[in-house]
Order: sequence, then C-alpha cells, then structure tokens
Amino acid sequence: MVDESFFIDIDCVQEKKHGQNTFGDCFMSKRYPDEGRVIAVLSDGLGSGIKANILANMTATMILRFIAAGHDLTKATEIIMETLPICQVRKISYSTFSVIDCDDSGLVKIVEEGNPDFVHMRNGEVVEHEPEIRTSKKFTNRRMHLYKFKLEPEDRLIFCSDGVTQSGLGTEQYHLGWRREGLIDFLRDELKTDKTVSSRHLARLIVKEAQLKEPGRLAKDDISAAVLYFRKPRKLLVFTGPPYHAERDEEYAAIFNDFPGKKAICGGTTANLLARCLNKTITTERPRPGALPACSHMEGVDLVTEGILTLTKTLEYLNEGGRIPDDPAGKLMELLLDSDCIDFMVGTRLNEAHYDPLLPVQLEIRKNVVKQLEKILSERYIKKVHLQFI
Amino acid sequence: MENSAKKIEIEICLGTTCFVMGASKLQELETLIPPKYRSLVEVKANTCMDLCKNATYMKAPFVKIDGELITEANVEKVLNVLERKING
Ligand code: FES
Repeated sequence: MVDESFFIDIDCVQEKKHGQNTFGDCFMSKRYPDEGRVIAVLSDGLGSGIKANILANMTATMILRFIAAGHDLTKATEIIMETLPICQVRKISYSTFSVIDCDDSGLVKIVEEGNPDFVHMRNGEVVEHEPEIRTSKKFTNRRMHLYKFKLEPEDRLIFCSDGVTQSGLGTEQYHLGWRREGLIDFLRDELKTDKTVSSRHLARLIVKEAQLKEPGRLAKDDISAAVLYFRKPRKLLVFTGPPYHAERDEEYAAIFNDFPGKKAICGGTTANLLARCLNKTITTERPRPGALPACSHMEGVDLVTEGILTLTKTLEYLNEGGRIPDDPAGKLMELLLDSDCIDFMVGTRLNEAHYDPLLPVQLEIRKNVVKQLEKILSERYIKKVHLQFI
Repeated sequence: MENSAKKIEIEICLGTTCFVMGASKLQELETLIPPKYRSLVEVKANTCMDLCKNATYMKAPFVKIDGELITEANVEKVLNVLERKING
C-alpha cells in the first residue's frame, strides 16, 4: 500500500425536523490540502428550528476556528465544553458535538461530547474503541470522549445526531428508537450490498431509513448522518468542447479513452468527434419534452450530454445544493459529487466557419462555466479539481 | 396507403445551436404526430448534425426525415413533410 495516495471522502446528509424550516444540526468541514488533512464537526443544537440552528452553527464554527488558529484538537474542544452555556429551562447543554480530524495517512482523532457514539466499520464489521474520557471541571454531566487510531484503506466512520438513533422512538416497533445497534445492522447490510458506496450516498440511505422509522415519515427531530470513507480516489474526466488544434483530436481522444476512471462528455460536437476518433457509435435517447436535450450513450463512457446548457444548469444545481433533479444536468451533478478528483479537458476551438453567431459566445460561456464549476466543486464540495484548456 | 415494414425515420438535432434555435419545442414532436401515423414513424435525436458549422446551411434547427433535410424546422413543417412522405 506504499505510494498509494488515499482520499478522505466525507459528506453529510440532513433532514429537518418536521414543520421546521431550518436545520437544528450543523455539519461543517474544512480540507487542508497542503497538510492532507480534513477537519469536520457535526453539532446538534438544543431543540430545533432557528435557535438550535444558531447554537449548532456557533459551536461548529468556533471549533473549526480554534483549530484553524493552530489550537490542538483536545484543547479546542475542551474550551468549548467548558464554555457552552446551559439552557436555563431544561438544564442541559446548548449543543452537543463530534469532531473528526483525519489525515491522508489514515491517522484519525475524534472528540465526542453528547452525540451518539460513532461507528467504525471495517470489512463489513464494527470495530469498537475505548475512549479516553475527560470530564468537565465545571459541568459534571459533560464528558468528552477522545479517540485516536489509524484507519485502514476502505474503512468507514459514521457519525450521526440523536435524531438517527432515536428515530421511531415510542412506536410499537421501536420502543427505544432505532438505536445504535439498529444502525449497525443496517450498515452491515448496506455495505454488503454495495462495498464501495460513496459517503454521500450512504449518508443519504441512513437518513432515509431513520425517517422511515418515524410515524408518517415525519421526523420528530433533526436527522443528520455524516460519513467518512477512507479510500482510493475516484477519478472523473469531463471532456467538453473540441480541441483548438483539429489535428490533435486523435491525441486527446486517446487520452480520454485511456483515462483511469469515469468519463463524461459534455457537448454534441465533442461527442461526435470522440466517436469518430475512437470508432464508436452514439445512440441517443428518445426526445422528450424538457428544458435540456436528452442524454446520449457511447460505449465506455459514463455520461454523454449536450454542452453549455447542461453545464450551466449543473452549476445552478450545485449552487442550490438541494436534491438532485432527474435530468441530464442532475446526472452530471451526481457523477461530479460521486468523484474525488475531477479533471476537465476544455476544448477551445473557435469554429472553422464563422457564420454561427452563437459559437464565439459559446466558447466564452464554456470557459466561464467550467471555471465556476471548478470553484464551487473545490471550495464547497471539497473536490480536487483540475482544469486543462486544450 | 402502403404499409412498408421500414419506419420513416425522423431525426431531430438536439445540439446546442439547434436546441436554442427552437429544437427544444420539437422534443415533444412524437406526441403531436397524428395517431394514425404514429406506428409508421420513429423519432430519434442527434447530438449535432454538424450543419450548424456549415455556412451553406444557416438555418437551425435541423430535422431530417428519411435523410431529407428540413431547415428552420418547426412542428408544422415537419408534419407537412411527413404527411407528404406517407401519402406520396
Ligand atoms: S446543433 Fe444542430 S447541427 Fe449542430
């Protein structure tokens, strides 16, 4: 396993308490590419709605800031534990939290205060760890659990708010809620069915399942699941636009063809060009009404879409950050989010015939959209993105 | 009416240029074909007919019916040509 660089795939999916219009849990993460390190916080604010949202946000932000300022993780969380106020009415802490600090070598440090214990899955089974416990000097009911261990490739860590483990609480079938045991059984099953499921997808499955436990599927607390998956990076190459020098089409087509990872083509002309160079056929889906042209298919390529309209729409979806719509742009979004390292090969050919008034405009839009995609994918979705104008 | 085994192929270009110039409205063409003709026709899409880059044809969107090119295509034009093809 030497010389293999690994990737920390971390993501969180949340569902609001029914009837609330804001999340009472907060998940924040920050990647430090130079150190090959990721820090993430999942915080659960007392109650639900806007008050919980502010509390959870404050806690998560403060922890990340402390660490960014160079404080040691234990120190940073200790300060938080000692200073978090108590709710005067309910006499419990304003928020609970889990902090994860992980690097590319798999070394992980975890601090938990009040949230359900995390689950460590390895080869489809649970690995349990003994925490080092620190009790608060000021609040005897506050206790931090500290862990430090090393992840092996393909290991996963699952964190959740109590909205997950207590889902279904009080129902006939789940008197005591789904509980950590129920979650573990679920994880075992899911990981058996799909060993390489992405963090985002697994988190979504957990949240969905927790929601299913609730009567009428109405969440009675905020539900959040965060997953960390330590694995080989998933690569994606997006080819959009014909290369500037037509005589180099073949060369780029070969690079595309040999790429070790998933592949997408965005652009009709680009698709035709690659099909020609690689001697493949394009089959199109039946036209059906929609705001975007339908996808087409090419053997060995994971997705073929139209160019700038689809890219622009995808950017819009990524900005919204909501559910993934079922259209070509949604498919591209899905592919992007499921990848860790994304390469864009952006062709810059200005066309042979200059009559088409749309062409120069298209080229500019394409460059622009791709640059914006790079920005949002790397900053907000913590992907490693690389642009190449060809 | 002759009922040949081979269907009449309608190919709609859904490349960016054509789509923006009006092909988006042609996507529902299949549902607009009179029911009696529907079984005789197959509607397909094309990723780009490469005509948008050719100065001879400045008239996107493009549709081909059994290879016959229709420029500045719209539902009415396409249905007219189809009618002619079927009824000779
Ligand atoms: S987009 Fe229709 S011919 Fe190119």
